[in-house]
Amino acid sequence: MIELRQLTKRYGDTLAVDELSFRVEPGHVTGFLGPNGAGKSTSMRLVLGLDAPTSGQALVNGGRYADLRRPLHEVGALLDAGAVHPGRSAYNHLMCLALSNDIGARRVAQVLELVGLSGVARKKAGGFSLGMKQRLGIAAALLGDPGVLMFDEPVNGLDPDGVRWIRGLMRGLAEEGRTVLLSSHLMSEMALTADRIVIVGRGRLVADATVAELTAGYPSLEEAYMALTASSVEYGAAR
Amino acid sequence: MSVLAAEWLKVRSIRSSHLIVGIGLGSVLLAAGLAWMAIGMYEDASPSMRRSARIAELEEVVVIVPQLCLGILGLVSWTSDRVLQTSLTIVPRRWPVLMSKAAVAGGLGLVVGAVTVFGTFFLSRGMLAGRYPVSGFAESWPILVPTSISVAVFAVLGVGLGVIMRSTAGAVAVLVGLVYVIPMIGGNLPEPWSERLGSVMMGALPREIAGASLASSVYGELLSPVAAALVLAAYALLPLLAGAWLLRRRDA
Ligand SMILES: Nc1ncnc2c1ncn2[C@@H]1O[C@H](COP(=O)(O)OP(=O)(O)OP(=O)(O)O)[C@@H](O)[C@H]1O
Ligand SMILES: [Mg+2]
Repeated sequence: MIELRQLTKRYGDTLAVDELSFRVEPGHVTGFLGPNGAGKSTSMRLVLGLDAPTSGQALVNGGRYADLRRPLHEVGALLDAGAVHPGRSAYNHLMCLALSNDIGARRVAQVLELVGLSGVARKKAGGFSLGMKQRLGIAAALLGDPGVLMFDEPVNGLDPDGVRWIRGLMRGLAEEGRTVLLSSHLMSEMALTADRIVIVGRGRLVADATVAELTAGYPSLEEAYMALTASSVEYGAAR
Repeated sequence: MSVLAAEWLKVRSIRSSHLIVGIGLGSVLLAAGLAWMAIGMYEDASPSMRRSARIAELEEVVVIVPQLCLGILGLVSWTSDRVLQTSLTIVPRRWPVLMSKAAVAGGLGLVVGAVTVFGTFFLSRGMLAGRYPVSGFAESWPILVPTSISVAVFAVLGVGLGVIMRSTAGAVAVLVGLVYVIPMIGGNLPEPWSERLGSVMMGALPREIAGASLASSVYGELLSPVAAALVLAAYALLPLLAGAWLLRRRDA
């Protein structure tokens, strides 16, 4: 479970996340939506302790991420698929992460197989396409077989095959009882993948409901999203 | 330990580290080339000039190559980690990540330093003996040991600078400034400041630790062996601790 309590993050005079509170429960995929600059990535960074909150709390399974000793076993995350040294092979990239959490080479080979990168495991990640880097990032998130997963725009750059594969993967992970938080700008895809939706705008919570609830009053999730975020799209505007 | 193993793999698994270490080790060949040129000059000289022929200790001349190389290896291990964002996620506590990087760079620095300094010593003395007056191992090892260690100090210094500066270019500039620019400025200051600054420069410390003379260099020799050893340690540790302190306070 992921829980945000009155979470606030200020960068200089930009209020990136503004008293944001919501919970992400296990057993279903939770979609994380919001216009550009709404604070989705920042929220995820705060959960992972990469940035320190200005105030409020971000909890994973009831505790602070920073207190986990081998976090890969509890939380897997894909934030930035580009965070790979171009000169390092996919296998060694994963091995570097695995070693620090006492995960063995067998598991590295397993996740490479799972994301379909076994054939290029020894190739340098610098030569990977965006989609292949996304797959590598997903492999890293899955390394420790964690119960909580966060993916920031994982379908970015994936081919139609890959998009469908992600959909199946996310739903499968949730069905196994895991907590899955997934951000994306692809509404139709999100409608097919997620059961619950959290929408943020200008760092604040706009909606927290099931897909069924959101689409009840609108023709589609996209229409619901457009209506709900209409007042918060002028990002960076008067705060 | 697992974080250390991960950092060691990070260094081993990219080709640029191999290149940097290779260039550092290659300084032995540079020294051999210098010795070879010195031999040529000796052979061309008149008998009276031969008798007064002198040559600097080559391992102390070329050591700036492995020093710079390992310093760069150290700082790059932070500034171009790329997995850094991920690795701070994966090891939420930043202290072990930083210390492991310092240990890996420092350990490599110690090996590269010892190999190049002692290698250069034996190779160049073998080549030059009989022509130039050269010092023997018994009198030289007290200088060779701290000179080797200075390479490891640069490696750890590099890690610290990398954390503080966060950019490769900035950290390299500071590193080069420490090796070349400040000693040069120091040499042109009025006394006693020239001597004082020259005594705390990295290039002066090994000889000060050994209690050997520095009279014929731009460096000073004001420090006692213990004080010089402390200054050498401070070069490695102060930037590292400053970096650790910054890391705790700022966002990744
Ligand atoms: N390191 C930073 N320094 C300054 N401002 C930042 C920083 N990171 C994020 N911001 C600001 O915080 C706000 C939220 O950004 P964030 O990346 O969380 O949005 P997002 O919802 O992920 O957007 P997108 O859909 O475009 O990915 C933006 O205004 C952004 O400019
Ligand atoms: Mg984002």
